[in-house]
Amino acid sequence: MPLSTFSRRATLGLMLSTVAMPVLAQERPVVAAANYPLAYFAERLGGGAADVLFPVPADADPSFWRPGIADIAAIQSADVIALNGAGFATWPTKASLPRSRTVNTSAGFSERLIKTDTVTHSHGDGGQHSHTDTASYTWLDFTLASEQAGTLADAMMRQMPDQADAIAANRDALLGDLAGLNTHAATVGATAGSTAIITSHPRYQYFGAAYGLDISAVDWDANEDPSAAQWAALEDTIAATGAAVFIWEAEPATASRERMATLGLTDVVFPPLANRPAEGDFLTLMETSLQQLEAVLRDR
Amino acid sequence: MRRLLAIATVVAFASTAQAHQLNVFAFVQDGTVIVETKFSSGKIPVSGEARVLDANSEVILTLPLEEDGTVRFPLDLEVASGGMTIEVTTGEGHDDYWILTPEDIANGSES
Repeated sequence: MPLSTFSRRATLGLMLSTVAMPVLAQERPVVAAANYPLAYFAERLGGGAADVLFPVPADADPSFWRPGIADIAAIQSADVIALNGAGFATWPTKASLPRSRTVNTSAGFSERLIKTDTVTHSHGDGGQHSHTDTASYTWLDFTLASEQAGTLADAMMRQMPDQADAIAANRDALLGDLAGLNTHAATVGATAGSTAIITSHPRYQYFGAAYGLDISAVDWDANEDPSAAQWAALEDTIAATGAAVFIWEAEPATASRERMATLGLTDVVFPPLANRPAEGDFLTLMETSLQQLEAVLRDR
Repeated sequence: MRRLLAIATVVAFASTAQAHQLNVFAFVQDGTVIVETKFSSGKIPVSGEARVLDANSEVILTLPLEEDGTVRFPLDLEVASGGMTIEVTTGEGHDDYWILTPEDIANGSES
């Protein structure tokens, strides 16, 4: 038996009331999003005619977020459930989601997904085996971000046919903005030339691949100061790659930036924006990050 | 059956590419909660336990996995009215969970 309209609205009303939405908001369609880029796209596409549900707390990593029962109930009730695909977030595999209202926004470019390193290990009596993973921050290739936005727009138009014309117009404006980011990112790639870059976390695979950047990664927690072993591993990576630029995914401690300078690296903060930023939005913050990275590369 | 098929399809396309992660799936049928576990390689866990948590994240039941990797227990609508989370840990050291919302439970209870 499908979810009734009444019960879906009741669940949504409960969830939306917790984020101080206007009382009448429950009358509008709801788009649930698995990460901030999709939430931003949904906000742009909906243009105020839809509410966007992005329930991941500000201090959580959406890649690893574990929802509660109420979160899943609200997501199940949404008119459109926008997933990133590419293995981003595990929660969509931990609950039943209504197929007709769920859209995998990267399904259209599965052949362009990037496989990451395979880890082989053993435990228990299962013998040796391997984990192969997929890079999931697809939106950092802005052409893929455009495809995701277009796929989401199609899903929203199917579920909100009375808003189809407005969504289509909003989609065209959004795709224009994403094309602008893509052009700027290509310029950054050209400016970088053969300069090797190290990132604080392996999340920039699509950015590097799309714009011809030579990117290696360490695996540092965004909210912790690197350990002595991590600094040592970074020095090894510098020696192996000849890197001159370091990208932080989040603002580091001042001492960490100072130490980075002693290693001969020029650093820059480039948040991948998987979660909603405290200030600014996807477009303005991506543009800022591109400007800062371009300036660092040009000044070398 | 069609609903179960749809659920399985969504789970399949959303799953990651990891080679042998544990997958847990639970549903309600005729007043019984049925938990199924399987590794993505297709193998059945040889041992493990399922913990059932209520809406307040309190453990309300702990049961061993059967030989076929399943767990079954009668649905207590009073306890489950706010939904349930079922966490499974296998003897091989893998774990996974499944969330049953009040809607899932209500739909299964009516089948």
